[in-house]
Amino acid sequence: MSAADVLRLALVGSPNCGKTALFNLLTGSRQKVANYAGVTVERKEGRLHAPSGRHYAVLDLPGAYSLHAASLDEAVTRDLCRGFYPGEPAPDVIVCVVDATNLRLHLRFALEVRELGTPMVLAVNMMDAARRRGIDVDLVALERELGVPVVPTVAVRRDGAQQLVAKLEHVAANLHAPRHQLDAGTGIDPDALHTETRRLLALAVTMPRRTAAIDDALDRWLLHPVFGLMALAVVMFLIFQAVYAWATPLMDLILAGTAGLGALVGDVLPPGPLNSLLVDGIIAGLGGVIVFLPQILILFAFILALEESGYLPRAAFLLDRMMASAGLSGRSFIPLLSSFACAIPGIMATRSIQDPRDRLATILVAPLMTCSARLPVYALLIGAFIPQQQVAGIFNLQGLVLFALYAAGILSALVVSWVMKKWRRDKGEHPLLLELPSYRMPHPRDLLLGLWERAAIFLRRVGGIILSLTVLLWFLLSFPGAPEGAIGPAIDYSFAGRIGHAMTAVFAPLGFNWQICIALIPGMAAREVAVSSLATVYALSATTDEAATQALTPIIADTWSLATALSLLVWFIYAPQCISTLATIKRETNSWKQVAIATGYLFALAYLASLLTYQIAVALGAG
Amino acid sequence: MAAGLLLQYVVVALAVALSAGYVAKRQWPGLVRRLRIACAVPLLREGQAAWVQEVGRWIAPPVPGSDGEGCGGCGGCGPTPPDH
Repeated sequence: MSAADVLRLALVGSPNCGKTALFNLLTGSRQKVANYAGVTVERKEGRLHAPSGRHYAVLDLPGAYSLHAASLDEAVTRDLCRGFYPGEPAPDVIVCVVDATNLRLHLRFALEVRELGTPMVLAVNMMDAARRRGIDVDLVALERELGVPVVPTVAVRRDGAQQLVAKLEHVAANLHAPRHQLDAGTGIDPDALHTETRRLLALAVTMPRRTAAIDDALDRWLLHPVFGLMALAVVMFLIFQAVYAWATPLMDLILAGTAGLGALVGDVLPPGPLNSLLVDGIIAGLGGVIVFLPQILILFAFILALEESGYLPRAAFLLDRMMASAGLSGRSFIPLLSSFACAIPGIMATRSIQDPRDRLATILVAPLMTCSARLPVYALLIGAFIPQQQVAGIFNLQGLVLFALYAAGILSALVVSWVMKKWRRDKGEHPLLLELPSYRMPHPRDLLLGLWERAAIFLRRVGGIILSLTVLLWFLLSFPGAPEGAIGPAIDYSFAGRIGHAMTAVFAPLGFNWQICIALIPGMAAREVAVSSLATVYALSATTDEAATQALTPIIADTWSLATALSLLVWFIYAPQCISTLATIKRETNSWKQVAIATGYLFALAYLASLLTYQIAVALGAG
Repeated sequence: MAAGLLLQYVVVALAVALSAGYVAKRQWPGLVRRLRIACAVPLLREGQAAWVQEVGRWIAPPVPGSDGEGCGGCGGCGPTPPDH
């Protein structure tokens, strides 16, 4: 099948109208969906094979309120629709998606898209939600007045796009027929667009008197300047409690499985380098990371549920004043929130920030958000040094410490952006204009898909970069062997042992031993590799087979001081890891200077904060 | 050296080489690409034996954008946005 046989289909629409959900439904993809604007910041492509045998290349474009682009992501949509995007032909058919519960806002953009003259189908999405709220949309009248095919869709239902596919087939079959001549008059004059939108609404949409009584009732509390902030704090707090309270049984199971597998392989294989690579390297290293999968999934189950519910834009609204006083805008909230999964999509999501200075400030502080790769490191150190006990009878102390680490990252980001604001002497206010979506119950299918995606990403990293780095580190820790007549442990004479001992000259004031120093290097590729590296280092340092298969947590609890553990925790809040994040900063800012600034300030912060933490802890008797 | 031990060393050497290649490809995709081009170009010159050219084609990197990977980071990157 040649490229010419494939019709190019672009999904466009205003933010949060359900384009990505529809894209997933049409193509069987699993792109991220959420109940807030700005999730998609660049085009995604998938394939639709229609029942007729026709093939479509489906493009999911970033949401746009207008073809007069105000931000980078809107510019991607504008350029692609007009055929100006480098290396991308114009689409053959445009599916303009509008939210049936928000036609007042979304129809205006549909009118702009219609003026492009490309064959178009209007997909009125979320028809089920509109019906539930008593909104009646006369699709026949809408089709007649717009002069383009109009179909209802429910993107979260398995058969929700059947009519759309049927209509697309019809449009595709008549692509070369003479096109319907549109009435002149609306043009792209904003006033004319508003007038036309109002006329269409009056003709085709019947609204109930009150559309969202529940939304209003909830918002009275959740957007309250005092109760709203309290509710947000309670929600975040409970999430971190649950991460520790619920994950333990599964983690114990994985730990037991890893130890059993290590012992089995150690018994079956004859002694030698392959035995050591598998037992001390791969099984000890990867097992030390995989054990944290349950905690990562519990954390993301909550974050996904909050995203789906429509609560997160409210949180952005609540935090806008605080963020503005720190030099960020409320629009920074979504990119910073994305950075809790990984700083890379977070930095890319800053494309929705219109002001370039706000965007740069957000990019530079995004690495301070606690990404999921830090979680295994935090969980390891908290598990080893913070006792599993209750505080005030209800709170889990380990959960409290994890909450504090996340809070430290957020507060540090606010302080850094505040300093940057003072530096640039920018007194300008950038008011937050944010669309608050209706609340909705999280859809179990989307939640499960999201969790599956997180687990797949984590396991791909474990099987890819983490496995590769663990093998390399095992090699550097095992070769060369100890020379004849050596009296110290063999690992001290290895490449990595020598590098680690040399690095202690710089990191000893922070309380880091040579094993920690070695773990920091592969941690530059992926933070969680630090955990697998420590597991491999200690497994190879063990003098007996039994000690080599022991879990990492009790080993570091016995050999490190509390001051060292606290210092390492603080290091991981700030340290400029990983390389991919720095590469993304270069790509998004097109400036090595910004990469140098980000690396320099993060390293300086990490070193100073760890130094202070260690020295104070030692002075207080924790050394 | 016993045959069993030799085999273990061969397997370990392969694993280390593959891991080094994977890490280099993920962390420094541009550098690896340039290296592959530099190695492939002499093998693909006119006059080289067919099997040498075949090896050159195998070493040469794929056409940009055909593997859907961007920076070698999270693997979820698309094309770079146009400059404005």
